[in-house]
Amino acid sequence: MAISVKVMRRPEAGRTSYMRATLKGMSLTFKHLLRVKKVTLEYPEDQPDLHPRWRGTHRMEVHADGRPKCVACGLCPTVCPANCIRLVGGEDDQGNRYPIVYEIDEFRCIFCGMCQEVCPVEAIHVGQHFENAEYTRDRFVYDLDRLMEQDHPTTLLWDPSDPRSE
Amino acid sequence: MADSSRRADTVTLTIDGHEVNVPKGTSLLHAAETLGIEVPHYCYHPGLSAPAQCRICLVEVEGAPKLQPSCVTMAQDGQVVHTESPSAKRMRQGVLEFYLVNHPLDCPICDMSGECKLQDYVFDEGREQGRAREPKRVFGRDDFGGDVLYYGDRCVMCTRCVRFMDEVAQDARLTVVERGDRAVIDTFFESGLDDASFAGNIVDICPVGALVSKDFLHKARAWDLDHTPSICPNCSQGCNIDLHARDNLVQRLKPRENQEVNGHWMCDYGRANYEWINRAGRIESPGVGRGAKRRAADWQTALGSLLDRLRVSEGAGVRIVGSPFASNEALGTLHRLSRAVGTVTESVFRCRRAEDEDPLPGFPLLVRQRDLAPNVDGAGILGFERAGSDDATGGLGAAASHDGILFVLGDQLDDQPGDFGADASLYVYLGTFDSPAARNADFVLPVTTFTEEDGTFVNAQGRVQRFEQGLQAPGSARPVWLVLGALLAALEGGNPPGSAADAFAALASEYAAFAGLSHDAIGTTGAVLEPAHA
Repeated sequence: MAISVKVMRRPEAGRTSYMRATLKGMSLTFKHLLRVKKVTLEYPEDQPDLHPRWRGTHRMEVHADGRPKCVACGLCPTVCPANCIRLVGGEDDQGNRYPIVYEIDEFRCIFCGMCQEVCPVEAIHVGQHFENAEYTRDRFVYDLDRLMEQDHPTTLLWDPSDPRSE
Repeated sequence: MADSSRRADTVTLTIDGHEVNVPKGTSLLHAAETLGIEVPHYCYHPGLSAPAQCRICLVEVEGAPKLQPSCVTMAQDGQVVHTESPSAKRMRQGVLEFYLVNHPLDCPICDMSGECKLQDYVFDEGREQGRAREPKRVFGRDDFGGDVLYYGDRCVMCTRCVRFMDEVAQDARLTVVERGDRAVIDTFFESGLDDASFAGNIVDICPVGALVSKDFLHKARAWDLDHTPSICPNCSQGCNIDLHARDNLVQRLKPRENQEVNGHWMCDYGRANYEWINRAGRIESPGVGRGAKRRAADWQTALGSLLDRLRVSEGAGVRIVGSPFASNEALGTLHRLSRAVGTVTESVFRCRRAEDEDPLPGFPLLVRQRDLAPNVDGAGILGFERAGSDDATGGLGAAASHDGILFVLGDQLDDQPGDFGADASLYVYLGTFDSPAARNADFVLPVTTFTEEDGTFVNAQGRVQRFEQGLQAPGSARPVWLVLGALLAALEGGNPPGSAADAFAALASEYAAFAGLSHDAIGTTGAVLEPAHA
């Protein structure tokens, strides 16, 4: 089949008015001029609302007596796809298993939240937090004390009223 | 059936629709195993008697009124067995639910997690949700002495540990006290398992996390460990073991089954002595020059100048100080090189010896030997003689003042004076750690330990056994057979060995004891040498 070319009929030059299209465009412009909706956030005076499932830097939950909730079971370094958690387990003076070393390299972390999901004792959490600036790179390896000091809200990985997404 | 009636020593039966022919007297559990069907079991262990008390290996046998315990029911001709029938599965699910009534489910803090049979079976076949609402009984933990801790809450009362101490160690120190859900394993008297020399095995055979090792407590997770088949280096019995390593460090030693050597067991002495393998501060690069003139060099430079020295000193008298911790490949290649460059006037090794042997009464083949090194017999075959006293000191007087070529391999010379080898025309020290007595060495060459190379040992039974590389060598340390094999090839022509198997093949062609053997022929269970040589 031969290729056919469709010839469009266009108005001749000088015989076209763009007035209608211009008015249509300008009406949209003036509509937005009158209907003021503020999108600029005066950060840092104003803080953004983070989504409940926002996954930011980590936080370790603590018991009432100040011990970390972590029992050094080793599931988070096992599940971590970025291999950013270093854990050395041991026994404290009360005979409890606890992490002697617990470090998260926040640079390597991809904030997938699987550490929080896998934790059997709800100790490690990703947090609703994004202000992580530091002066040196080594400050991005959070040790256990640092993780326990964090006080930002933790992430909800699922809807508490519908935990199985049913 | 006609086939099996002709051969009366075997029976043919059907398990899960597969026909199998097994020797008479085989249990159903074993017969299923030959088909690759695993019947869950706790109390049954191939090295122990079977009391059939855990009730989880019950299978359906057609014609039998009830489910039969497969660990003690012997296979019979024409039997039809179902391990996966609805009644067998329902029974297993019920038994598992009973086991979990009082089990604390503390898998996150349990050292057995990841290799636990209760975890495996419940994961495979257990109920999704428990139905027990009553509070669980709590025992806490009990120190059994020795290296063993007992967590009564996790125990499934299989009594493997009690039977091991009774039947194999023949030193009944454990028993079941109380009954019903109050039943626990306990020790007699205060001594517990202290100074029991094979008690570590009860940790291995415990199917759950009730018995754990104090040494391994909270140290690593089972799934993080790399397993490498190896040979226990702590005596000349040469128990087959698995090295369990993490982060390039040995975390524990576990016995590997070999019915000709150690059965399922190993001694506590061998099990506990592994930290020396992890010792830091190794020699990491070759050093050339004596005393203050010692300079670090790369292998090419070091071996090049060593080769020049060996070429000009051909025909000199050679003395060798070897080590019973070195592999056959290492000792044999060193001996061959020494003969190539001169006349070997003395080749010795020193070995620490225990006061007496320590046999395992229930498995007489397994003895903790007097020689506390793995390759004493191999060194003997390769022309090395024992020197020094039973604590591995002394006996090197002639070597210390030798004026020809002196090779030291693997012996750290801790008791030797600083002027050791000062008169030697050429002193080569192949070792893992630097030593004051290596000060006069012209060449200090870093070599690997048995965990960092492939190779073979000859045990006290005259059995050649292979071990495999489990760790990465530090720095530029290389296996002895690789270093000396390259020198030998440069001196005598031919190709340097590319692997430990090549190095062993060279020994097999030279030493009658190893004739006809190869790494492939030795395999995973070892090969016995002719008694005349061993």
